[in-house]
Amino acid sequence: MRHLGVFLLLAPLALAIGATSSRAEEEFTPSEELTALLLAPGDDGEPLISRREREYFSELPPRAKELFDQAIENELLSEATHLREILSLGLSAPKVELLMRDNCIVCHTDPTAQDSDTLFSTDPESNGSPSHLDLVEFVSDVHFRRGLSCAGCHGGDPMDEDMADEIYDRWPEAPERHEDRTWIPAFCARCHADPVFIRRFNPALPTDQYAKYKESRHGERLFRAGDSKAAQCVSCHTAHGILRPNSPRSSVHPRRVPYTCGRCHADEEYMAGYVGSDGKPLPTDQLREFETSVHGRALLDRGDLGAPACNDCHGNHAAMPPEISSIAQVCRTCHAANGELFDGSRHKQAFERHRWPECETCHGNHAIAETDDSMLSEQSSPLCYECHREYAEDNPKCVETAKYFHASITSLARESEWLDGRIQPLAQRGLDVDALTATVGELRDILRQSRSLIHAFDRGEFEPVETRGREQVETGRALVAEAEAEYRFRRNGLLVAVGIMAFLAVVIFLKIREIESDT
Amino acid sequence: MSDASGSRGLLKWIDERYQISPLLEFVRHKEVPLGAHPILWYYVGGTTLFFFAVQILSGLLLLVYYQPGETTSYESIRYLTTKVPFGWLVRSVHCWSAHLMIISLVTHMLSTMLLKAYRPPRELTWVTGFALFALALGFGFSGYLLPWNELAFFATAVGTDSVKSVPLLGDWLLNVLRGGPDVTINTLYRFFALHICVLPIAAFGIIGVHLLFVQRQGMALPVGESEAPRGMRFFPNFALRDLLLWLICLIALSALALFFPYGAGIPGFEWELGQKADPLAPAFPGIKPEWYFLWIYQLLKEFPPHLLGIEGPQLCLVVVNVLVAIWALVPWLDRSARAEKPSAGFTDLGVSAILFLAFLTLKAWDIGGGGGADGQLPDPAAVARNSAWILAALTVAITLVRVSFFHHRWFILSGAALLHAVLHGIGGVQYLAAGAIAATLAAVAIGFLSIRARRLPPFAGGNP
Repeated sequence: MRHLGVFLLLAPLALAIGATSSRAEEEFTPSEELTALLLAPGDDGEPLISRREREYFSELPPRAKELFDQAIENELLSEATHLREILSLGLSAPKVELLMRDNCIVCHTDPTAQDSDTLFSTDPESNGSPSHLDLVEFVSDVHFRRGLSCAGCHGGDPMDEDMADEIYDRWPEAPERHEDRTWIPAFCARCHADPVFIRRFNPALPTDQYAKYKESRHGERLFRAGDSKAAQCVSCHTAHGILRPNSPRSSVHPRRVPYTCGRCHADEEYMAGYVGSDGKPLPTDQLREFETSVHGRALLDRGDLGAPACNDCHGNHAAMPPEISSIAQVCRTCHAANGELFDGSRHKQAFERHRWPECETCHGNHAIAETDDSMLSEQSSPLCYECHREYAEDNPKCVETAKYFHASITSLARESEWLDGRIQPLAQRGLDVDALTATVGELRDILRQSRSLIHAFDRGEFEPVETRGREQVETGRALVAEAEAEYRFRRNGLLVAVGIMAFLAVVIFLKIREIESDT
Repeated sequence: MSDASGSRGLLKWIDERYQISPLLEFVRHKEVPLGAHPILWYYVGGTTLFFFAVQILSGLLLLVYYQPGETTSYESIRYLTTKVPFGWLVRSVHCWSAHLMIISLVTHMLSTMLLKAYRPPRELTWVTGFALFALALGFGFSGYLLPWNELAFFATAVGTDSVKSVPLLGDWLLNVLRGGPDVTINTLYRFFALHICVLPIAAFGIIGVHLLFVQRQGMALPVGESEAPRGMRFFPNFALRDLLLWLICLIALSALALFFPYGAGIPGFEWELGQKADPLAPAFPGIKPEWYFLWIYQLLKEFPPHLLGIEGPQLCLVVVNVLVAIWALVPWLDRSARAEKPSAGFTDLGVSAILFLAFLTLKAWDIGGGGGADGQLPDPAAVARNSAWILAALTVAITLVRVSFFHHRWFILSGAALLHAVLHGIGGVQYLAAGAIAATLAAVAIGFLSIRARRLPPFAGGNP
């Protein structure tokens, strides 16, 4: 009786929701069942579906609203809690239509029809459901947004009111499918390795992921060693919440890639037992090291998407630790100029002879630090000197060259800093600092070039740039001297002018005294 | 022929044609009263005129290189200050002199106010002086935009925007002022015409009338006195002193222009060129007008969006106009001074105006509010508190001087200004509410005094 009373009280409100001013609204009249669901009271007597959700529903176009009535007719929607779950998503009208036309998801969001291990909900944790049955993630999924809903992967027909046998046939039985993950890559590849199919949705999307994956260390482990702990598609992309990589929420967005990889590679327990090609256990400190590296700070702290994440060096679908011979090539994809200089240097041959991994030898890998002029200093860094003592003791010229590089660069840097520090004080004095600012800019550019040129390990290539740097320093110093002379001229000019004016003032003062003493 | 007989011959030659003898006679006999007021106050009008002359001369020199236009305004000023010999000096002198002229003008006006020099027969001298003050503000506002740099552009956009609050005509006025709905190069053309043509013509005319009045009526004497104890000949004694002071001003101006080429380094008192204006760029926070407009800027911020059923900025405009109108009409409102009787209330009105403007200006400077460098906004409560303490110290200092040297006893309005600041800054009461409380208490106190004095008009008695 109490419910009837609430119904009678709220029925006019429901009618009012149905009869808003827009013409489109007038074309749709909710069925009695739908109205009853919208106004169904909760335990506290208040409508279970909030006023805001009801208003959201009333603003949906008639075509979308009719689908709710259809779901009621098909006996897929009968509970207010179920309706509330769908309305609480606050989806746009096209997405509501996508969702309500798909009987699979309508049925699998019904808490009265599904067990917790098959129920999609907005809060799977509190329902005791697996995390991949998150309804909020599902409706953001790139496949769902392109109209490829459940049946796209699981088979069957979304218009069916019952599950077809095809669905069961396509899937390995649980728990086998959870223990043996080898089926997953091929499952995804059914579409993602088919260029004709993919072209219909995203012509720019590559279709070689499966081929690459099979050649990756992960694929090798999964397929050849039958190791289901090895990462496959779902490990990185998730199952039902797959987003485009350029979405900041995506698990494969460049800024999230290190943490996605780190979920396994930074987990000591998970990685226990894995060894590298040298037979040593695989390290698990890569993420920690990367976070402190120059690349990590640029990517993670400053959000510079030009900085590399794990996949930029190791590859993604074809992920492999780079071999000695390919490490330098990996670095060259960004640091091409330095790579070219190194290739033309004597070090190239020596490094090949010793099988040293070029860039990594001096700069390291995951923990790669910001380069510093002190790396060339005999006092603060053993980098050049220890190596040369051990392998090239008979060539003292090399040590001299390193010392020359260090002395030249630090000297130019000091001069640049000094000139830079003069700009502001001179500008504050009202002096023209345009030419000086341009000179300092040019000098900074030369410093960048000279720091790059040391990778040629050759004085001949370095000296012309250093000479240009010295010329800029001379120009800068001359400009500073000129500006200071101009300021002195102004100050002296003021002194002369003040002297003349003061003399006139004294004359006037004396004249006043003279006049007034007369009177 | 000697020089003296030569110049006499020339004077005779001119007098025969233009009859200048009466004028020379007038100058010869004109005297400045001595021993009445501190003589310093008689010079500040002259220094204002001196700075105005510097403005005209330096402005003419700027005009030789300045080219108004979207691609030339900023560039020509930049060229002038960096490449043209002494161009930097011309701009620096023009800017410094503009600010010193306003300071001198404000000092002149306040001295006239506090000494009641506005009373009959000099009401129109006060009114013309007030008009010159308004023109000076117009010069400042229009000249600010001309370099077409970032700060000037946004400050002008904010400044002209307040015109919108004028009832009925607001949008139309805004369009007239800006030459369109937004600040564009058309606004600059208008401001340029105003700055170098319209305002100077008006200023020359009104200065002429103002000086004519001063010459015809002479310097004012203290209230109740009809004759000065002594007199000083205007020419050459006073004129030479004027010249001496102008020379000192010129020395100060030259030194300031050289050592502080971009101003005093406080908001509203600096003119570094910075970046060129980009109308498409977003406005940056902390844009403030020149220091003499800061009080209106701050007062606008103190008003809520809506109050008493009308828009806050409109109500603020009403308040500002009422205050300005009271100020302009003081010669007629001060009935005691008109009757050559002491008018302590109007002396206190002058002091309270200084305190009222000072408190708003201190607040607008965000004194002690922190923030700024790291992009954080200053803490308004800390700013109000610090400003209130500074104002309290200023009020105490002024009051001590008034009591010790001038034996003043009437402090109701300056007390209300202090109470306003203390209630708001230290008591945490909202600015307008604190103002209403202080104004009500002042009105009650004045009412009580007038009932007690009965026959005396409310603003009379107490102070000399």
